[in-house]
Amino acid sequence: MIKLHPETPMLSSFVAGELPASVSVIIASHVEMCSVCQQEVERLTLQAANACFGESNVMPMAGVDSVQIDDEFGSFSLEAELDSNELSMLEAITGMAPERDTIVNTAVVEDKEIEVSGVRFTIPRALRAVEMKPFQGLGKLSRSRLSLEDGDIRTSILHIDKGGSVPTHTHKGFEITLLLQGSFEDEMGTYHAGDFIWLDGKHTHQPVTKTGCVCLTVSSNAIRFTKGVSQLLNPIGQFIY
Amino acid sequence: MQKSDGIPHFVEVNNIISSQSEDQVPAELSSWLTLVASQRDKRAFTAIFTFFAPKIKRFGIKQLNTEAMAAELVQETLSKVWNKAHLFDPSKGAATTWVYSIMRNASFDMLRKIKTKNELLLGDDIWPIETEEHSDSEVYADHLMERQMVAYVDQLPEAQQLVVKGVYFQELSQEQLAKQLDVPIGTVKSRLRLALAKLKEQVGESHD
Repeated sequence: MIKLHPETPMLSSFVAGELPASVSVIIASHVEMCSVCQQEVERLTLQAANACFGESNVMPMAGVDSVQIDDEFGSFSLEAELDSNELSMLEAITGMAPERDTIVNTAVVEDKEIEVSGVRFTIPRALRAVEMKPFQGLGKLSRSRLSLEDGDIRTSILHIDKGGSVPTHTHKGFEITLLLQGSFEDEMGTYHAGDFIWLDGKHTHQPVTKTGCVCLTVSSNAIRFTKGVSQLLNPIGQFIY
Repeated sequence: MQKSDGIPHFVEVNNIISSQSEDQVPAELSSWLTLVASQRDKRAFTAIFTFFAPKIKRFGIKQLNTEAMAAELVQETLSKVWNKAHLFDPSKGAATTWVYSIMRNASFDMLRKIKTKNELLLGDDIWPIETEEHSDSEVYADHLMERQMVAYVDQLPEAQQLVVKGVYFQELSQEQLAKQLDVPIGTVKSRLRLALAKLKEQVGESHD
């Protein structure tokens, strides 16, 4: 049972595409694991679409309708509404050859599995195109950095072996942990797969795992992040440069 | 916009299109997309284009700052709508939500390209465009099947287990296996045949 979720304002920014890539990716990975947030994201997307394009009162159609568009439009010219730039764009688009074979996401998505220190786990789909650097080990910890090139924000996959722990630490900026597999405890409680854990400079913690665990982490130590959550909700441009 | 009885339908469409600022979503959007999907209907696409282009441009100027980038976003988004209209499923949601997702993903990737010079496209992985229910259930069924098969394999006599696991799980050739187990290749073949027959029986049983 997932107990910890991203807060609604963060999900709204996520849906609007306003968060940095690394934060978007970790939220997407949580959403993949969490049916509650899937519904919330669906609701927020509908809201954002309505805000952008206007309220849609149309009930979803049950099937394919055979609408005769020529009859509906009569003889007036739709093109009259468009300026010359728009007209040439329209021409360019409808002149394109069909490209049915290069459709994004239509192939059945294959889950990508990797193995670290004898533990197999599935990479979230949001990360499947992102290059992973080789795992580096230190005692019971193994870490692989993800090549997201997201300014000062670092994204990693962390494996902690049975009985391992991370030394007590705090964060100048923020740290988001998504538990992908296994469980761990810290001073604030026990966490399970799917939990989305947000920590900032106010927290000090020492995670310990009895069973071993795999986490996706996004963290920043940049000074400009000291305002924490509120800063994260700013549009992407303000915080990367 | 007032809707009154007796006005011919095409006049109504005309009104909607000429008063875009009123944010009235034409009820026919879904049917237009369906026509684009099934017949690559240019009239329907023109109607879609006329409705969405100015709104996408407004979004683009807000997100990407320049007029030129906003125009690129319009082109990118509506090209995808033209090419991928068949992925739109009217029973799963409004056309506007579908177009919004395409636009947001494209805008996200464009912004990232400007900011980080990174060409990696992440938008469609972060926010999958078509509902993946279909592929999800297939993957899920595969996992279940796989787990079930592993359970069946574990019930085989050990000699047969080794052969099946070698061939199907470790992807060794029968020659390699024979060498590894230090038995003639004929033995590997016959064990595999026996094992597969047994597995087939079990799968058949559980599916009856």
